[in-house]
Amino acid sequence: MAQSVEPSREILLAQEYSIPSHQRFNPLRWARREPVGALGVILILLIAFGSGAAPILRTTDPQSLDSFTPHVLESPSSEFFFGTDRQGRDVWSSVLYGGRISLKIGVATVLVGTVGGTLLALIAGFLGGIVDFSFSRIADMVIAVPALLLALVIDVVLGDRLPSLPALPKEELARILAIALFFMPSAFRIMRGSVLEQRSAQYVEAATLIGAGQIRIMLRHILPNITGLVIVLTTISLPAAILTEATLSFLLGSNAPSWGAELSGDSRRFFQSAQWIAIFPGAALALTIFAFNIFGDSIRDTLDPRLRGRI
Amino acid sequence: MWSYIIRRLVAIPVMLLILSFVLFLLIFILPGDAAFSIVAGIAESRNLDGFREQLGLDRPWYVQYFDWLGGIFQGDLGTSLTPPHEPVQRSIAERLPNTIEIGLLTLVLSALISVPVGIISAVRRNTVLDYILRTGTILGISVPNFWTGTLIILYGIVLFDWNPIPPEYVSFTEDPIKNLSIVIFPAIVLAYAGAAYTARIVRSSMLEVFYSDHVRTARAKGLRERVVVSRHVFRSALIPVLTVIGLQLGGILGGAVVAEQIFAIPGIGLLTLERLFARDYPVILMTVMIFATMFMFITLLVDILYTTVDPRIRY
Repeated sequence: MAQSVEPSREILLAQEYSIPSHQRFNPLRWARREPVGALGVILILLIAFGSGAAPILRTTDPQSLDSFTPHVLESPSSEFFFGTDRQGRDVWSSVLYGGRISLKIGVATVLVGTVGGTLLALIAGFLGGIVDFSFSRIADMVIAVPALLLALVIDVVLGDRLPSLPALPKEELARILAIALFFMPSAFRIMRGSVLEQRSAQYVEAATLIGAGQIRIMLRHILPNITGLVIVLTTISLPAAILTEATLSFLLGSNAPSWGAELSGDSRRFFQSAQWIAIFPGAALALTIFAFNIFGDSIRDTLDPRLRGRI
Repeated sequence: MWSYIIRRLVAIPVMLLILSFVLFLLIFILPGDAAFSIVAGIAESRNLDGFREQLGLDRPWYVQYFDWLGGIFQGDLGTSLTPPHEPVQRSIAERLPNTIEIGLLTLVLSALISVPVGIISAVRRNTVLDYILRTGTILGISVPNFWTGTLIILYGIVLFDWNPIPPEYVSFTEDPIKNLSIVIFPAIVLAYAGAAYTARIVRSSMLEVFYSDHVRTARAKGLRERVVVSRHVFRSALIPVLTVIGLQLGGILGGAVVAEQIFAIPGIGLLTLERLFARDYPVILMTVMIFATMFMFITLLVDILYTTVDPRIRY
């Protein structure tokens, strides 16, 4: 008998809790309320388009042999928009292709870092006891080492030893893991706090009373309630991830074209005679990080204004 | 309070011990052994087995670890693998003071810039001045420090025919003035990014306090706005600021690698980077441990400072 009652009750609940149309997310209204964030979105789209569609934007792939031309250190012109470097390569092409690695590694590290941190936080928050204690102490320990230094060492150590995956050379895999380790402990800490807070909420008690299992409570009740924080954490971490990738490429070099690597090594000797090789890759990097920063700030203010000043 | 400090002081060596164990495992034990990377790195010897024996890497890992650990307790931090084969403690002792100097200078500069900027921005919120300062701070957290450093050097040379990197480094004890004129630039580069971050936190935590009851009371009893801002608002806003400055130190220590590399300062950041290319693991292991030790003590110091800033916090 209960089975015949349940569907109608669910429909009633769904109607009661559905979001009225005027409260649903409307991108244009959001853009009007957060103009700076909207500027960030436009810049991000432009940058993503530039690096994604690089092959059709008058470029030569910097990794192909055709990229070396006899035009060495030429200043910006209608033929070479951003000038050429000491090997006659087009800087415009390196800048557009360089965005690919920044965006790819940035997004991958943040996903691994925040998703990993959130999962660990759910596990720690639920199992509690020795699991929670040991996870927290490990996080403390990793946080106690200056992050960039640890990322440098992990990158080099893993780069020597990891196998290459089909679509991912081992250098990139090592870099992703090194930077993800950078984020995971702090993501874990923030998410753990939030999981513990939710755990003592009444709706969890109610779910327990009607007999929901631990895993169900974790995934169906608590996870949806901390999703906002996960999104904020992800967008706020993205610029830092891109910056870290660029810094590691600057310090250690990179096989694929990368903004950080363009500014390091032998090319530094040519900066005085050809300022454009120092300016354009750095400016592209700064613009990308800037765009993600202003976007992340507005996302945080929109989803959870209380977080302002905390993360 | 004291029992809290003692507990923390005991925890530091324990954490360092675990950290050293993890790093040791990671570097020496993971498959794809260190001897191979080292041989490939310095290309000094092609005799892999002989090299492994020379490094003691043919012994079981726990023997290697305890041997290394025992050495530390006797003041022997190991021997460098790169050619002059210096004792690790000598290379570190030579370079550590330079890194500490840059770190302290950065911290002072960063506090001197960030606090006033954050306060002005909060007091004059939503005015043109506020927008200008906020744009400056958001640029500060967006522009990579290695690019700022590169531009300072590049335009120093191009515009003023002046190179901020001297032909050779002068330590503070040799010539303080000349030394400061060298280390000020890496400190400025690191301080800009750090100050920008802190200023944002100062601004937002001040704004949070601005509308609280105790500030309204202070205004209501007729205190001058300056007193309200400096005594009531700023003091309450200091706690998040202190946290951020503490966290930032990790950034400064990590940033030291970048700044030392760009400005050719012989500190332990540059040492770590140089030896990473050579796979000189005994040196790298030790520099990471030293960075971690400094960071742990600073974090403890910040936690103790909390009690002075906010009497409500007790341990």
